[in-house]
Amino acid sequence: MRDRMPRYFFLLSMVILGLVAAALFQAARPPWKKYQREFYALEAQHEPNAAAKESVLKTPLAINQILLPGLQRVDRCTTCHLGVDDPSMKGAREPFAYHAGIQQHPPSKFGCTVCHGGQGLATDKEPAHGHVAHWEEPLLPREYARASCGKCHTKGDVSEAPELAQGRRLFDTHGCRGCHKLNGVGGSIGPDLSREGATRRDPEWLVRHFLKPQSVSKGSAMPDFGFTRNQARDLTFYMLSLTGEEMGNYYTSKDVLPSPAYGRQLFAEKNCLTCHAVGGVGGQGGPDLQGTAQRHSSEWLDEHFVSPTLVFPGSSMPAYDLEPNARAALIRYLAAATPADARSILAAHPKSLSAEEMAIEAGRLSFEHYGCVGCHGENAKGGVPNPNSQGGQVPSLIHVADDYTKPEILSLIRRGKMPPLKDASKPAPPLYMPAWKGTLNEEDLKNVVEYIWSLKPKEESSW
Amino acid sequence: MSALLKDLYRSIFRGDPPSTDKGKSELVFYNVWLHIHPAKVRKEHLKVGHTLYLGFISFFLFLILVVTGVALMLYYHPHPAKAYQDMKDLQFVVFLGPFLRNMHRWAAHAMVLFVFLHMCRVFYTGSYKAPRQFNWVVGVWLLLLTLGLSFTGYLLPWDQLAYWAITVGTNIAAYAPLAGPQIRILLLGGHSIGDQALLRFYVLHVCILPALVIALTMVHFWRIRKDGGLSRPLWKLDADSAPQGEPPRPGPASAEKTYGLMEVVTGKPLFEVLTPAEEEDLVFSYPYAFFREGVAFLLTVAATMVVSLVWNAPLEEIANPAKTPNPAKAPWYFLGLQEMVSHSAFLGGVLVPTLMVLALLALPYLDRNPSRRHADRRLVLWAFTVFAIANIVLILIGTFFRGAGWALVWPWAATAGGHG
Repeated sequence: MRDRMPRYFFLLSMVILGLVAAALFQAARPPWKKYQREFYALEAQHEPNAAAKESVLKTPLAINQILLPGLQRVDRCTTCHLGVDDPSMKGAREPFAYHAGIQQHPPSKFGCTVCHGGQGLATDKEPAHGHVAHWEEPLLPREYARASCGKCHTKGDVSEAPELAQGRRLFDTHGCRGCHKLNGVGGSIGPDLSREGATRRDPEWLVRHFLKPQSVSKGSAMPDFGFTRNQARDLTFYMLSLTGEEMGNYYTSKDVLPSPAYGRQLFAEKNCLTCHAVGGVGGQGGPDLQGTAQRHSSEWLDEHFVSPTLVFPGSSMPAYDLEPNARAALIRYLAAATPADARSILAAHPKSLSAEEMAIEAGRLSFEHYGCVGCHGENAKGGVPNPNSQGGQVPSLIHVADDYTKPEILSLIRRGKMPPLKDASKPAPPLYMPAWKGTLNEEDLKNVVEYIWSLKPKEESSW
Repeated sequence: MSALLKDLYRSIFRGDPPSTDKGKSELVFYNVWLHIHPAKVRKEHLKVGHTLYLGFISFFLFLILVVTGVALMLYYHPHPAKAYQDMKDLQFVVFLGPFLRNMHRWAAHAMVLFVFLHMCRVFYTGSYKAPRQFNWVVGVWLLLLTLGLSFTGYLLPWDQLAYWAITVGTNIAAYAPLAGPQIRILLLGGHSIGDQALLRFYVLHVCILPALVIALTMVHFWRIRKDGGLSRPLWKLDADSAPQGEPPRPGPASAEKTYGLMEVVTGKPLFEVLTPAEEEDLVFSYPYAFFREGVAFLLTVAATMVVSLVWNAPLEEIANPAKTPNPAKAPWYFLGLQEMVSHSAFLGGVLVPTLMVLALLALPYLDRNPSRRHADRRLVLWAFTVFAIANIVLILIGTFFRGAGWALVWPWAATAGGHG
């Protein structure tokens, strides 16, 4: 029996060796090595002498990664984007360009993907930029990267991204919470928005959605609020910042930036003008604050805020429990405070309210905060279309006091209501009154009723 | 130079490759790895047409899985917070990581397939009949263990595919009679898939199930020898006029008497009285059997490597219990089961699969017809063919023709549900 098997065995062994070589070849040539070689070639051009050139060209190729446990990320972007923190690479071609303006947010502490999105773990262009199947966080378009400021700076203004605060304001004043839940508060007619920025990463979609909801989402119950393009953009910024991610303490400690505006707000809230004056405007109990920022260093002021008597024995100023951010904001405001500004703070100081007025005011705030405005319109004037409901609109609440008693209104808000149909054969109206029982407590409910009751025009109440 | 090479060669291999009959026999006898073989085998058993080497291929795939699996263990943490990132690290950072994972993934799928094909071969050649009934039972257990290994490995990448396939799979397990929900809790270490479930699946996958497979494989191989070697091919049956039963198995005649070893060992001694015709039928295991097995092994490895070089193992988004894909599909080999469950939870999820497994286990004892000739066993052949085709068709329907909400769709109507 002549046997060819040993020969086949030998040949196949060679094939396997070839396949192992192919696998090694594939593994040994990852695309990032090509970028690194190009980068070092680029860098070598700037070197003065041959020896330096040589040593740059011989830099060992290696994956760079930034470990960010506080952000639950590992970013390997700097494996190819080698010039981000190298000012001499200003204007270099991508992926080697220098990233200006991030001194406050050095890549070593923040990485890249927390602002820009993308897949930090990846080391090849397409997967790293996240435009691949099964990666939910693709790179944000350049102009929308600033939306990510709002992931950490969740309150107050961010001077670099004014759209965020604008969007947040629009969100509050247009009663979006009436239908949408955000961080546990809000209605359930529309989708929960707590992770909207993580699930819907397409800014263009969001802009079009705000301009005309039904154009991108057929049959959406969301009313057309008539937003301008800029407003739609502001709201898009805000939506993109809502990712529901857990940020470490280091990052959340700056939820409010120590801006002068925040300082002014604190200055007014803490009633500093009761004792202090600015250029003669205000109280006489403590020193005039004009020029304080010039007389003392900010370190002195900061320590003084922590414990006034420690820095200035005998001071009668109480030690306010201010967090570092708030102290920094106050110090910045003090540098900018003027007598005219102090006068306007004093003028805006709320006068004392009666118990009834306070209930109405609290009700109005709840009405805004919980998004009743979204359906019932600003100042409850109505006018939001609701197809196939009687009247075709969400009712105005101005004349509710004529048709209902207070307990009736209370139970209606508590339990909710389906609007009566105009045409029984057509689908039910998209908007309905949700039950607010679990969301608002008894006192809030009563206050809202007081507010609605107060809407009745005064001249009509006479007859 | 050549003297040095010769020296080196001699230091490893003390003698030349055996050329004498005695040498070829001793090579088998005195080698712990080879002595599971007889020194001589029948020529007909080496023919590809008889066994298609399916059992060998299954075993070789298992070897590939052990080697690549141990390598993967070096990079894997069985914890939800780390597992998915480990997959990404394998994909992007670990040298040869993608290749390693691809090999493991594709070899695992292939092993399920080849174990099933091996079972079909054994059935169609009637090789489960006496005296090999018990080895068939061992084989059915090995098939079940293979499914278990693949299923437990499915969860480990901790992506959406893994999470929801195991959710569906363990929900099917909960339909089991009597202790269904308890089995599910035992598997998951809780009511839903979490870090406990991942740890349990990991331990099952890398420790308990492989140990069982190794133990049963040893029994499976040993029983081949003890049951008189491989069954004879069907074409030899037609040529032989001898009855279909295997050679007589003389045992000690009396329990009282003391016997020498030569009186207990069964079968014909190889070096002695062989008829010329029998002598004609036999060849030495070395080199004929060993090189054929070696070629089968290399082909298996080469095929797995080629597939792994070209196609990447799937990895979806990180597991998200709040986001159910529609449809959520079990691993492909359980899609027939899922298809049946979709029609009736009890009938499809409990009764039919239980009966199927019991029927497979009991087959050699129920089928008492001693003949292995196809002409004599029409009914069983039909029954098994229907069983195999029904399983394949159900799996195909579940894989390609089921879309969102488990509705019937055409495969080319793209759906979100994946499998791989």
